[in-house]
Amino acid sequence: MNNSKWDDRTIAAASSSVIIVGALLYYWVGEVQSTVELLELAYGSFKFFNNPMIF
Amino acid sequence: MLSNFLSNYRSVAGLIFVVLAIVLVEFFEVRTSVYPSLLPFFEWLKYSSWIGYLGITYGSIYATIQAVHLISMAIIGGTVLVTDLRLLGVLLKDIPSETITKGTHQCFKYSLSVAIATGIFCAAGVADKVYYMSVFWIKMLALLVGSCFMFFIKQPLLNSRSHSEIDPWILRILAVASITIWFTVAATGRWIGFS
Repeated sequence: MNNSKWDDRTIAAASSSVIIVGALLYYWVGEVQSTVELLELAYGSFKFFNNPMIF
Repeated sequence: MLSNFLSNYRSVAGLIFVVLAIVLVEFFEVRTSVYPSLLPFFEWLKYSSWIGYLGITYGSIYATIQAVHLISMAIIGGTVLVTDLRLLGVLLKDIPSETITKGTHQCFKYSLSVAIATGIFCAAGVADKVYYMSVFWIKMLALLVGSCFMFFIKQPLLNSRSHSEIDPWILRILAVASITIWFTVAATGRWIGFS
């Protein structure tokens, strides 16, 4: 089993990596989405440079 | 058959167990029921423990230890980036990746120990604030997952054989996962400071 290319450690590494990257992408995309929704709620529309605290 | 699977695929079985445990914890709402009972501990940490007292009373000590925390986090980031960008074939191509992996891991272990020790002190000073911040718990979760990933998944595979014997796509996805998780630890850490 240890001589196989897809042995225990390789399968664990590949599957855990996919789970971690997938979960973190889901988290960060969710954070971006909620930020955009918050900006739309506050200012009516989302633009990159519509922060009244600055302009 | 099950014992045969467990003996041949110990790491995979461990991973399945962890994923199942996380699903069950969320399904039975264990996390949400345990959360309120942690508040007294965080209040004790800030107002009654000696590290909380030091952090609240002496700003200079808090700033010094926070600087050590940030430097150790920077070293962790450096070792992770050097190792993973080498695995991705971006930098230090003239040095064998096995040499870099083993060399940086020692540094990573010491830096992680320092970061955790100083991080407990930093959290104690603002324990009643971080308790209510979801981003603090995300950071703790990312730190736990990143450490387990490093010590139980990534290093055992990279130290088990020559990297030329490992599928290049496995090395790439390992590197991407590692960079992503430690980026999250760093970003959420700064988010705590920024909030």
